[in-house]
Amino acid sequence: MKYEVFARVNQGDDTIHIGNVTAQSDRLAKVYARNTFNEEDWDRLAVVREDHLLDVEGEAKPTVEVSA
Amino acid sequence: MSDWPEPAVDYVQAITDTKILLGQRYAQWSLAGPSLEDDIGGASAAQEEIGHVRQLVRELEGQGRDPDWLNGDREPEEFANAASLDRIDGNWAEYLASIAPTDRAAWYMLDAIDRDDLDGLITKIGEDEYFHLEYHDARLETLADEDPETIQATLEETLPQALALIGPAAHDESADPLYDAGFTDRPAAELREAFAEHYRELFADTDVSLEAVDWDAPPIGEWDETRRRADAGAIAEADVTQISGKQNELFAMN
Repeated sequence: MKYEVFARVNQGDDTIHIGNVTAQSDRLAKVYARNTFNEEDWDRLAVVREDHLLDVEGEAKPTVEVSA
Repeated sequence: MSDWPEPAVDYVQAITDTKILLGQRYAQWSLAGPSLEDDIGGASAAQEEIGHVRQLVRELEGQGRDPDWLNGDREPEEFANAASLDRIDGNWAEYLASIAPTDRAAWYMLDAIDRDDLDGLITKIGEDEYFHLEYHDARLETLADEDPETIQATLEETLPQALALIGPAAHDESADPLYDAGFTDRPAAELREAFAEHYRELFADTDVSLEAVDWDAPPIGEWDETRRRADAGAIAEADVTQISGKQNELFAMN
């Protein structure tokens, strides 16, 4: 399962996307993220399952369905 | 010179030697993992274990231990590492089931030390250990699903070896010399119980059975209080050569 990794250096900063990890569980994803992206003293480091991201625009362009 | 109670120096030595070997084994396996994330995790843990050793060696020097001896100028039988780290053969599952309980046992022993002058160091080590132990448990959960037979067979060997490092079951409140001297705030028997409970819970809903684990090992009569183990095994000469850096001392920056 793929996880997107987000972080911020200081409280109040924007939380930005810094990369991704592949893991078999949420628990493992958190540890992988910490080990892989520990180059900064992060104020916050978080992972999100890729399939939990809600697409706004992307593969399928939104259209307004008009039913008869 | 020493202001630690007598058995405490051997206790911290065993933790330190186990951490030397943890660093060594993590590093040896850090390119053998099934994924890049596992490799990075191993390399990161190796670096942190060596950092812990550096600090603990300084404490042991302060208690009168010889710096050269501490840094590896000794025989393999003089290392007081957990037997589970003497060598790790086999596959990734065997490696994980060897290193995980050993790292956890060493942390429980450090966490039990009740000394104001070591508080800061132990707190810092604990911050690193949280992620080591989280990683091990998360990985053991997946491996318990993928290869329960190997995990179970390896744990039947390595859990008693980790328990020997913690101390014999007979070292309860009334008989643990470290607890009696006030160096630790919990006797070995209590640490062993917490350790066993952790693994029983971790594998409760998996195909890994811990029924055959000898949770009472080692018998106190067979336990070596200096090396904190119950067998005469040791690491290989080649390990000592690497750990001591003897072959490369010409390049040391002194």
